[in-house]
Amino acid sequence: MRPDPHTLAGAYALDAIDDDLERRRFEQHLAECAECAHELATFAETAARLGQAMAVEPPPGLRANVMAAIGQVRQLPPAVASPGARRRRIGWAPWLAAVAAVAAVVLAVVAVRAQDQVERLEAANRQVAAALAAPDARVATAAAERGGRGTVVISREEGRLVFVAEGLPALPEDRTYQVWQIAPGRIRSAGLVGAEAATMVLAPAPGVSSVGVTVEPAGGSPQPTGTPLLLVEVPAT
Amino acid sequence: MVSRARDGRDMGPENEPRGERAEHAPAGLERWLAAVARGDRPAFERLYEAVAPKVYGLVLRVVRDRALSEEVAQEVLVEVWRSAARYDPRRGSALAWVMTIAHRRAVDRVRSAQAGSDREERVARMEVHRPYDEVVESVEARLERERLRRCLEGLTPLQRESVTLAYYGGYSYREVAELVRSPLPTVKTRMRDGLIRLRDCLGVER
Repeated sequence: MRPDPHTLAGAYALDAIDDDLERRRFEQHLAECAECAHELATFAETAARLGQAMAVEPPPGLRANVMAAIGQVRQLPPAVASPGARRRRIGWAPWLAAVAAVAAVVLAVVAVRAQDQVERLEAANRQVAAALAAPDARVATAAAERGGRGTVVISREEGRLVFVAEGLPALPEDRTYQVWQIAPGRIRSAGLVGAEAATMVLAPAPGVSSVGVTVEPAGGSPQPTGTPLLLVEVPAT
Repeated sequence: MVSRARDGRDMGPENEPRGERAEHAPAGLERWLAAVARGDRPAFERLYEAVAPKVYGLVLRVVRDRALSEEVAQEVLVEVWRSAARYDPRRGSALAWVMTIAHRRAVDRVRSAQAGSDREERVARMEVHRPYDEVVESVEARLERERLRRCLEGLTPLQRESVTLAYYGGYSYREVAELVRSPLPTVKTRMRDGLIRLRDCLGVER
């Protein structure tokens, strides 16, 4: 189902799209449609009117709590065009090793860089092997927006979902990558990963339709705060 | 603070003459937000005074639980501090930016808290509990609220319900479609044309 994206502008402005993929598609459309972006801006102003009509005095403790909290929060820098050349020079040996974890199984290629990484990855490797060996195993892969890629291996019979992230750009210290299992109407955190490659072995969430990766404040978030920079659709069995 | 929240004096630049706001020297909230982006705490305190009742009120409207709403409102206000530098005045008013963050957080909290069965129960409960009625009740003699009420009344019933169930109720368009027993494409369309009519009635700058 791929309806005219324009009609979604109202639902989007009201935060009424609970399907992550659908929202992401609309955002992609927005990036290409200046008229839609303008319409959405007027909708945001309109929605703000609805919101401010609800104003009530906040609880007395809120102000002190907020003021105390901001003292411990580093502010984001302004968004500026980043010098793209600098990314992905650092830390690619580790991700190569983890790519190998899957590659060793899928392609029978052994490309091991360091003994400790091998040991660390062996357990994951066995799980990947088990998932892949299952009769119903399916594999999907997708490229990330700013470099890197993700691979999903799912076996519903084995109850295993393996997610491998590779080559994601390095992040500032106060940010982390967070992996999500996305089912229609429900997003569940699968854990945090660094910029180096990571292999996660998960139990598939009920109805999981994709696995996404977002950038979150260090320590992670209960729900994603931004759009995924990597989204791998989980193949249906 | 209460009186300021109620009497509309702090409603900020969005009540100023249309068509002059974004392109000229930023006024009120926009100016404070620019100072907040540079780490100016006094500016943040002024911003807090202006927006906290609106943020908390909206969050409370969606989340309902007071303790949880306070927590979410705090997250929103800290987020405003954290990402002030990302606000772009060319893309809309500071208040709309803040309220967008507030609504998204409130809705995220509601959705993450609800499991499948819980959701059905909530949908069932909503059938006898329509947010629009409450909007009408809480719209007092205030001019701005009165205008909003009149504008909401100017919508068709389906437009009004689609917009208010989504915005105040925190429902997805699929849930709204279930509640109003209408096809999905109809509900999506009513949300959009409802917002267009509301926007034009309220005189939101285009």
